[in-house]
Amino acid sequence: METPKDLPKFAVLQLSGCSGCEVSLLNSNEWISNFNLVYMPLVVSTHKLPEDIEVLLVSGGVRTDEDLHNLHKGASRSKKLIAVGTCALSGGVAQIPEGHISRESYLDSSHRLRLPSMLPRAYPIDKFVHVDLYLPGCPPTPELFITALKEAENARIASIVCQECGRKKLTDMRPTSISGPRSGTPDPEICLINQGYLCLGTSTRGGCGALCTRPGHACVGCRGPANPYLNKDPEFVLDNLRRVFTRMTDIPIEEINAALASPWLSLFLGQFTDYTQDQSLPQQTKEKMI
Amino acid sequence: MTTITYPLSRIEGHARVVIDIHDDEVFRADFQAMEMRGFSYYVQGIPAEQITVIVPRICGVCSTAHQVASVKALEDLFGITPPPLACEIREVLLLGQLIQNQATSLFIFTMPDRVNASSLFEIAETPEGKSRQFSLAQMSLKIRKIGTDLISLAGGQFIHPIKTVIGGVTSSIPREKADAMIKTIEELLPMAVDLVDNYWQMSTEMVDRIGTWGDDEPTYYLASTEADSFRLNSKRLRVMCDEGRECHTFAPQEYENYLNIEESDYSYAGTSSFQGHIMRANSLARINLTNSFGTPKADAYLKRFGEAYGKPAHAILFFDLCRGIELVYALEKAKQMLETDLQHGEAMVRYAPRDGIGFGLVEAPRGPLIHRYEVENGLIKKADFIIPTVHNMLAIRRALMVAAKRYVSPEGISNELSRAVGRVVRAFDPCIACATK
Ligand code: SF4
Ligand code: SF4
Ligand code: SF4
Repeated sequence: METPKDLPKFAVLQLSGCSGCEVSLLNSNEWISNFNLVYMPLVVSTHKLPEDIEVLLVSGGVRTDEDLHNLHKGASRSKKLIAVGTCALSGGVAQIPEGHISRESYLDSSHRLRLPSMLPRAYPIDKFVHVDLYLPGCPPTPELFITALKEAENARIASIVCQECGRKKLTDMRPTSISGPRSGTPDPEICLINQGYLCLGTSTRGGCGALCTRPGHACVGCRGPANPYLNKDPEFVLDNLRRVFTRMTDIPIEEINAALASPWLSLFLGQFTDYTQDQSLPQQTKEKMI
Repeated sequence: MTTITYPLSRIEGHARVVIDIHDDEVFRADFQAMEMRGFSYYVQGIPAEQITVIVPRICGVCSTAHQVASVKALEDLFGITPPPLACEIREVLLLGQLIQNQATSLFIFTMPDRVNASSLFEIAETPEGKSRQFSLAQMSLKIRKIGTDLISLAGGQFIHPIKTVIGGVTSSIPREKADAMIKTIEELLPMAVDLVDNYWQMSTEMVDRIGTWGDDEPTYYLASTEADSFRLNSKRLRVMCDEGRECHTFAPQEYENYLNIEESDYSYAGTSSFQGHIMRANSLARINLTNSFGTPKADAYLKRFGEAYGKPAHAILFFDLCRGIELVYALEKAKQMLETDLQHGEAMVRYAPRDGIGFGLVEAPRGPLIHRYEVENGLIKKADFIIPTVHNMLAIRRALMVAAKRYVSPEGISNELSRAVGRVVRAFDPCIACATK
């Protein structure tokens, strides 16, 4: 019989994030019988990364000098590295980039004596280390974690959220403004775009089971861009959304454009558009993407 | 001078404890948050109505509390009253969060301390040890999962919920789903009670071994649940003074008159006090401020706790026992609420946004959480997050001092100190991601 000590050694390195990715992983206990968890400070009190890690999951972005140090150490001690969660793929949800109105005051307040220093921005981990597999999502569902750990090669992931949503797109229900959320309970069967919501499901990678849209909230794009828009100029995904909204609605183009510039979008899809503008970053190809 | 640094694990986020010793005497003990989330900066300038999706990402452990507080702040600001059905569903959501959080703190974070293990998942050497450990882990995760499933049922998304929106909730809870959940809770409640009893037993054994329940000097206590109705979707804060009597109650709008919140130079997290007095929030504060839960098993535990340790009780390891009581309460209460009709009736009202200032309060697992927003031209001008972990910061430092003094003497520094540091911090179940600006 296989003893736990023969199981592959598995570690979780948490950089700057919200712990939601780890909580999601804990929601699935399938890994308990398939892996030997050797390092995960959230649940195990070991402070030393072991030397011979089979699979290292890294969550969170690189935001402090300590994150960077730990990331290099983790990468050099593991055979396979999986970037989990949108923060690890794109830097982090709460970016305060150049040009943000509170960037100055943030930088002023982000230093303390003898504590790790905040870097000028939060970086995606593949700026510094080689990543074998990417698992986007904020957070990825427990099912997606298991797919990434066990059967990444044969994963079949829905190309966009709409495929898993089950809401019907109608041709004769054309909203004239994005005021869905202000208008009371949404109809449970009909596409949220028809009901005046800024839903990003048409351009967002599937695989989450349309978690948000089914109960009636617009998809905010946490799984990042669908395959056709990976590593493309940000205009590609925005163009696609613009096309969807002009085809399906009578919302004035100015309102659509303003909505597409919203932080809701920059929260996730925007992170990736930032990504593609940094020429020093590697291609996050669809073959490596769950 | 000697400075000892203790890295921390089995807590949310990146933090450490630093103890300075001068001539065999403890001079200072600090609890330091080592990263900054920056959300109060990040959200400046964004459209107010979009903030409710963004702020749960402050913390994946307390996301539900942030989401509901955020929605309530905007409802206050826009002058909307959500329908009663929506308030009930939000309560179920918050109960789910309480179950998930207390189960995590009890079984994953603190139970290993009681048996000197490094984790719940540590693989024991002997076959009997292995099977016992494996079954404990499986049971603990099962109970924890009820919380997760309730969050999904009442909140949509399972970590960063989305069903609670300005004006109500996007959809109600169908009867058949409620029934399935009730069945699971009925099945697993006895197991939860067993686990809590086991945990209680392990705790008293540990205390026999180490000889103390920890810092037991009286402090102020802060909670927003009511004395006879333990509602997490709460309205007012209550304060118990150090002589053990409820001495103040105030609305979230008035918090600045009562709470002094300060930045600190040794940590990315600040501190707060009740007009200069050290206070505590979280499970022990709520239990000290509760007369009855209104559910039979939790009320029996409440009685047992009061008889054994007095009321109010002050020692910090009681925080852990109180989490067990609350876990049982939340399971019982969730079941009761799911038995009522959460399917029919109005779940959401229309609204029109406007500018102004709004406040949202909920009782998060770690204590009262307030979001305060200033909105101008539809955009967030300023956002303040009044964080439960911050209310406990001074109490954590004091408890660390007490522990350090116990284990530092002219003969040297006892090995027990590093374990004590872990126990003290985990008793407060701090959340570092939330505690930074
Ligand atoms: S990707 Fe989302 S869930 Fe994961 S750490 Fe970042 S904010 Fe949290
Ligand atoms: S609601 Fe969103 S995800 Fe669902 S079909 Fe419409 S656009 Fe696609
Ligand atoms: S529906 Fe959209 S926002 Fe929600 S989990 Fe899926 S990808 Fe993320």
